[in-house]
Amino acid sequence: MTVIQSPNTRERGVATTPDAPRRRKTKQREAKTYVVILALSVFFLGPFIWLVIAAFKRPEEWASVPMTVFPQHAEWDNFVAALTSVNFFGYAANSLFLATVTSVLTTLSSAAVGFGFARLKAPGKKALFLVLMATMMIPQILTLLPTYVLFSQVGLINTYWPWVLWGLAASPYLVFLFRQFFAAIPRELEDAAIIDGAGWIRMFFTIFLPLSRPVVITSFLLSFTAAWSDYIAPALFLNLDRTTLAVAITAFYQDPVGNVIPTVQAAGAILYTLPVLLIFFFCQKYFIRSALGSGVKG
Amino acid sequence: MRHLSKEKIRLAKLSSPARKWTRYPKKAFYGFVGPWVVGFVLLTAAPMVYGLLVSFTNFDGSSPKWKWVGFKNYLELFNDGDAWTALLRTLAFTAIVVPLSVGGSLFLASLINRRLRAVGLWRTIFFLPSVVPVVAMAIMWKLVFNRDSGILNAALGVVGIPPITWLGDSTALYALSILMLWGVGGGMIIMLAALQGVPVELEEAAKVDGAKPWTIFRHVTLPMISPVVFFAVITGVIGSLQILVQPLLLTNASGISGAGAVPESNRLYMVQVYQEFFLSNRFGYGSAMLWVFFLIVLALTMVLLRSSRSFVYYEVDADAENEGAKR
Repeated sequence: MTVIQSPNTRERGVATTPDAPRRRKTKQREAKTYVVILALSVFFLGPFIWLVIAAFKRPEEWASVPMTVFPQHAEWDNFVAALTSVNFFGYAANSLFLATVTSVLTTLSSAAVGFGFARLKAPGKKALFLVLMATMMIPQILTLLPTYVLFSQVGLINTYWPWVLWGLAASPYLVFLFRQFFAAIPRELEDAAIIDGAGWIRMFFTIFLPLSRPVVITSFLLSFTAAWSDYIAPALFLNLDRTTLAVAITAFYQDPVGNVIPTVQAAGAILYTLPVLLIFFFCQKYFIRSALGSGVKG
Repeated sequence: MRHLSKEKIRLAKLSSPARKWTRYPKKAFYGFVGPWVVGFVLLTAAPMVYGLLVSFTNFDGSSPKWKWVGFKNYLELFNDGDAWTALLRTLAFTAIVVPLSVGGSLFLASLINRRLRAVGLWRTIFFLPSVVPVVAMAIMWKLVFNRDSGILNAALGVVGIPPITWLGDSTALYALSILMLWGVGGGMIIMLAALQGVPVELEEAAKVDGAKPWTIFRHVTLPMISPVVFFAVITGVIGSLQILVQPLLLTNASGISGAGAVPESNRLYMVQVYQEFFLSNRFGYGSAMLWVFFLIVLALTMVLLRSSRSFVYYEVDADAENEGAKR
């Protein structure tokens, strides 16, 4: 973690020789690097900027021929329409509820399972861990469609129960993150707790879970944003009146003829994405940590 | 005296077989791991087995009048030209997008790993798209790719290129690929960590020996980070084979009804499966398609894992093997 925050500590391609021509060459190379970086930034930021511009255009302005790049006035009407023309807050509440339920449950269950794999022993542990790692490799969509068929047979469609079940079932990836963390904690701590008469359950809740706070936060943020961003599960499992914001903004901003109004949809997309971006800006280090956990030890 | 007798009782209790203490009671492990095991059985194994059973029927999703049809679905699938086209298209898409995104994330990481002004800012800008929800991503890129009002055609128009129908039948796959590459920031962070994990001494030593930067990268840095690169390739292949939501949303139609409106060049395998399920209501046939695809993905993963031995360098494993040999 400390390394990634200070990439400047290592010098690369920067020559410190006193002779002028080489220094000029280094300067040139540096300039080239910045040109590349700026071009890439246009690619990565461009769609965001274009989304914001579209959200401030009047619908006629968006469709005007020839097209104009910038809106004449900044119009807030699209945002008003995005919030009021559909039950925006209702869908947002559904999204918030589902995301909270799954993220709390997933974090707790993943921590427990990770703890089991890191600190406990029983026959079959190795085999189970192999199965766990293998499930990470199964494309999720392959199980989602049969799950839909199965759940439709037992009446779980258009309820929030699937999300509770997915939450309780733990996420293999987060289990892995927790396991890595718990496995690194010294055994003496465990010994001390055992001598004090604590059982494994108490040890988990009073010692290990509080210690793993950074992983708990990472896990909560990841599963929360994943559930908030998920499209296919609510689109399949929920009817349109109980669905989430993700589904609502793809289809509901329509004119009387049934065509989507792009400018209002753009405003809706901004309002929908904003919470995720805010979480990202304030908690960037947790997102980065999760990416690291997956790659280095994978 | 009383104290002693108490001690004796305690010792007696300890040695009695009924109260034998073990550090690792089996119940504890199974209790902690239980939620995942139950979840795996109910939400992964059961649906897959159920899907296998459904694939031998002509079930349409609702009617109770289904019947067993044996291998009919599989035979039909074998002769289904659309499915083959979709499969080949998906493999080609994967073969193009995965190297580009793995290479791209490695390139971005090595760019960010230099001495730069405002390096944190650039890192955030590159990483940002990978956290945007897929729905918002699709909406954004639809606005960019819009034929008459999009910024891309406007920019191309300045150079004199006539407007392109990006989301039309022939070019939609380019649009989809660009959308996928836009999210390489997540991979970049992983590569960045890997690059910073390479011991400086190795690169310094190569430098002292007179190696050029590219040679150092090719023969020192790349072998050192090859496990991470390989991991990125594996997850990238699995991820891009199963792409469904992006092509579904990147259409001119709205929402989930867009399944039928997916342009020809974006009909990847999972899109085809989705259409069989929800446009044609052929759950049996769709399930057969899913199972065949599962086996293909599995086989591909196995082949990749096997072949990795020749080009992935595992430092830790080598050490462990040496130790084992000594013993």
